Formats: sequence, structure tokens, C-alpha cells
Amino acid sequence: MIKVENLYKSFKLNKKQQKEFKTDASETTVVNGISFTCEPGKIFSLLGPNGAGKTTTLRMLSTLIKPTSGKIEIAGFDAVSQPNEVRKSIGFLTGSTGLYERLTADEVLKYFADLNDVSKADFEARKKHYYDLLDMHDFASKRIGQLSTGMKQKVSITRTMIHNPAVVVFDEPTSGLDVITAENIIKLIRDCKTQGKTVIFSSHIMSEVDLLCDDLAIINKGNLLYKDSMANFRANMQTTSLTEEFIRIVRENNPIKS
Amino acid sequence: MKKTLIIAKKEFLDMFRDKRTLMRMILIPLLAFPLILYVITKIQTSQNEKEASKELTVGYVLNNQSPEMVERMDTSAQYVFTEYADTAQLKADILSEKINLGIWYSADFDNTYSAGKQATYGVFYRGADGEEHARFEELLAAQSSIYVQKRLSLNQLPSDYVEPFSVVSTDLSTVQEIIGKYAGGVLPYIFMAFCFMGCMLPAIDLFAGEKERGTIETLLATPVNRVHILLGKMIVVASFGLLSATIALVGLIGSVFLLGDGGELTTAIAKIITPQLVITLYALLIPIAIFFSGIMIPISVYSRSFKEAQSILTPLNMLVVLPAMVGFLPGLELNYTTAFIPIVNVVMATKAIIAGNAEIGPLLITFLSLILLSAIAVFISFKQFGKEESVLR
Repeated sequence: MIKVENLYKSFKLNKKQQKEFKTDASETTVVNGISFTCEPGKIFSLLGPNGAGKTTTLRMLSTLIKPTSGKIEIAGFDAVSQPNEVRKSIGFLTGSTGLYERLTADEVLKYFADLNDVSKADFEARKKHYYDLLDMHDFASKRIGQLSTGMKQKVSITRTMIHNPAVVVFDEPTSGLDVITAENIIKLIRDCKTQGKTVIFSSHIMSEVDLLCDDLAIINKGNLLYKDSMANFRANMQTTSLTEEFIRIVRENNPIKS
Repeated sequence: MKKTLIIAKKEFLDMFRDKRTLMRMILIPLLAFPLILYVITKIQTSQNEKEASKELTVGYVLNNQSPEMVERMDTSAQYVFTEYADTAQLKADILSEKINLGIWYSADFDNTYSAGKQATYGVFYRGADGEEHARFEELLAAQSSIYVQKRLSLNQLPSDYVEPFSVVSTDLSTVQEIIGKYAGGVLPYIFMAFCFMGCMLPAIDLFAGEKERGTIETLLATPVNRVHILLGKMIVVASFGLLSATIALVGLIGSVFLLGDGGELTTAIAKIITPQLVITLYALLIPIAIFFSGIMIPISVYSRSFKEAQSILTPLNMLVVLPAMVGFLPGLELNYTTAFIPIVNVVMATKAIIAGNAEIGPLLITFLSLILLSAIAVFISFKQFGKEESVLR
């Protein structure tokens, strides 16, 4: 379960940034009081154009950065006061996630298993599960630098799931991937849902959202513009396609109060 | 602590698989000194041999004086003497490098010498070819000695008549002291320069490199305290600095033994490198390596890319190299003032240890100030690594 209440994030602006953004303000608010809930066994999508605040929100959920104010609860733990407990409960994968090129797939997985205190037996069992599922046995002892993009993505997926997290956070996971490679991610997200995990993923690709998600929220310029189930989103559309509806909501830019 | 070691172990493995690491931190330090010393020795030896075997043409203007000295010198190997009518042509030929040197006699050379007074002859040479002049000076000194003996014998005086004193000089310094004073600065200089370079590559790779490759986010999302992540990486950065410096020293000492003639210098160096010196050197250099890591890591954490970090850190090299060069200045010693100046204090302390005259007070201040400095550097690194706007910049 993920519970986000009245979440704010501001960044201080230095002189160079003030000049760049043509403002005299000493700080900028990138997440402006958003609230939402993601339930176990459901896929929640966070939608928004570039610069909407999706990555910042997901980074706060993953405890990479601290919120300016508001509350985040992940699997029953507070993200600010219990960051380590939260980290134990989440798997985090982004489209730009890199791997250690000079290590083998096996070594990368062992490293993250050790950092997550995974027992040897659990590690071997989970590794086998994902190696079978994603057909990874052939390149298990090859260095990451020698692998194709698709193979690397499979290693990234296994790395994300090696500690069996209750909550999985995907930040634009298919960005920059070809359809075949992106398919592995789609498969993983569905697999997480089947296992009863809480899944949140950010995207700006409506077809992907339509394919996967149960609930969605649309944000723009840090404000929450829409929050409901995917079924209701489809039922209440004022335009003819999902993409057009998404664009309409973003253009109208009417923030909703949580 | 367990997580720190897991991180350090992974980073060691990662770094040792990097070809740049092996080249810059192991191969270059190991081979740099043997190669440099070998090439310099070879060039010097071959140059010396060439110079010694070179035939020198010396022009002379007798000015109607006895040719006795010139005739005697003409019998020496690798010399050819040619007579000139006047000094103008002699000078012109030396300037145009037709001949190498020139000698001219004063008009009253013979008479003055016979009268028991000081006779004069002149020498033309090109300072740009100083070694030719030095060789000729030796030949002339031998002639001078013959003329002195001749005059003494004519006056029935003993050969030591013109040498009223016989000096017995005894150098009470040990070779160790002399090396410590004049060359002792080289050892810590090399150690620190290579330590700095050794720290630089991992410091950049493990922070700015990790940001650039997009692996930092996944690492920070693991249930590991940031202090443990920082410490794990810092251990690797400092260790590579020490490793690089150690390899450079092994290379240097090895080349002295391999290329040395096995004489007094080699024996003295063998005597200097005692277990006590090595222990003291490392006691000073471990905090210095941590200090280097501590100043490099915040810069690397702040940088967006490997290149950006490298462009900031490379000029910093000067901040280490220049104070370390102070060690080459004779006269400056480890005292209660120099013991407080970072880098300079390590150089001075090492020199004093090699020379065997280190005082415990300044040595202790050096050690404690380095510990304090490295603690401050670690603290700054921690503060910078904790700043989300730097780490995820």
C-alpha cells in the first residue's frame, strides 16, 4: 500500500537557475500538495507531461529525496522517519537505470541481494525464478557491458525484484526501449499485480496506461489534475480517444483538492 | 559495517576490472621510474662516451714563444693541434665551429716563466659546448703541474713546497643523513603525487561516474545508510591512492637496485628502507590518502559527469605537488611550525625519519593534524553526499 497525503516538494534556486527560469523567486515548487493512494494487487499510473513532477514524486516515494512537507506511507512505514524500512519494501526501476558494466549479471544480482539482506536460499530461488521467466541463463556470467539492451533490461528487472519487494516503483520504465524489450517490463508489471504487490508507474504513453493500469492520477506542473479508476476515466471521457482526453485535462489545468 | 564492506568489495572488483585503472594505477607507477631511470642512464652514458671519444681540434697562436707545451699536449689522445698566425682567425674559426678550442700565448710568456714570475696564456672556447672546455681544462691543469714541478726542481725545492698544508677531511655524517637531507624529499613527494593520482580515478568513477551511468539511484534506494555507502566507497578511493603510491615506490626502489652499481648508495638506500621507516611512512600517509579522498569525493559528488569531475580535480594536483616540492629545499626542517602545514609536514617528517633525526613532538603534531584534517575531509564528504541536490544533480 502507498498513501500520499498533501505532498509538497520545493527546490531552492541559485542565481543561474533564476536567470534560466526568468524569475526572482528563491525557490520553485515542483510538487504542489498532491494526495493519492495505491492499493495492493492494483496498478496505479502517474501520468503527466515532461516536467510535471512525476520523477520527483517517485523519488520521494523511494526515499531518494525528502518531501518539503506532507506524508508518505509505504507498506505501513513512514518514508521520512523510517527510510530504511521503506527501502526494504520497495523495488525501484527507471527507464534510465544503469548497471555496473564491468560486473556479470550474477555479480550485480548478488550485490543487490546482499545490500537488501536477502538470505542465500531466497536469493538462489528468486534468481532461478527470474532466470527461467525471462530466459536469462545464457548470459548469467557475461559482463553487463557485453549484453544487448534487452538483456540488460532483464537484469535490471531481476535486480529490482531480487528482494521480493511489496511495493514496486517504475519511473517511465519503457522510455527509450524498443517494443520487444518494453514487453518484458509489461510482463513484469503484470506479474507484480498477480503476486498482489502494489505497483506505481509513471508514464506519458496512454496506450501503455490503458493496457495496464487499474487506477490513475494526472499531474501537471506539480498539481494533481485527475484521480480516479481507469474504468471511470474511460466512462467519463469528453473526447474520442484516451490520448486526446489526457491532453484536454492537462490543457485545462484545473487542480483538484485532495 | 557489513554493508560498508559489501560496497567496498564490489567497488574493488569493479575497479580492478577497469583497464584504465590497471594502466594508470598499477602499470604506469610500476614502470615509470625503471623506464625513466633506464632511459636517462642510457642517454647519459652514451653521451659521456661520445664526448670522451670525440676528437677535439685546438688552434694555437704561439706569438714566437716555445711550442714545448703545445707539442706535449699534441701527444694526448683525441686532440689535434693546429697553428694559427693570429687570434682573429682563431676566434673566427671557433665561432664558425671549424675547430673546437683555441689557446694563445702572451708575447713574453717564456721570459716571464723563466724569470720565475706568472706567465699568461689565453683560452678561447664556446660556453655552449661546456664539456669540451672542461676536458681541455683538465689537460691544461696537467701541463700547469708539469711547469710547477719544473720550477721547483730548478730551485731545488721539494714538490710539496707549494702545498704548505696537508688537509685530512673526515665527513662525520652518515650516508643516510646526507640522503635524508638532500634526497629525502623525493620519497614523500613521489608517494604523495602518486597517492593523489591513485585516488583521483576511483573518486571520479565511484561518484560522478556512477551518476553518469545512472546507477546511483538504485544504490541509494537500497536499505543502506548513506554513511555506509560513502565509507565503502571511500575505503576503495583511499586504498587505490596508497596502492598506486606503493607501486610507484616499489618501482623506484627496484630500479635503483636494478640499475645501481651495487655501491655505497645502493647499500645506503637498502639500509634506509627499514620496517620502522615503512611503518612511520604509512602512519602519515594513510591519513593523507583519506584526506585526498575527502577533498575529491565532494567535488565528484557535485559533478554531473566523469569529464566535469576530471576537469575540476586535475588542476588540484598542483595543490599537492607544489607544497610537496618544498621538501627539495635544503635547510627547511620539521619543527613546531612546519608540522602544522599539511603535505609539507609529511615531506619534512619523512626527511627527518630518513635522516634519523626526527623529534617526537613535531612528529606527533604532524600525525595528529593529519588525522584531524582527514576527519574534516570525511565530514565534508558526508555533508556533500547527503545533499540531494548534489547527488541527484
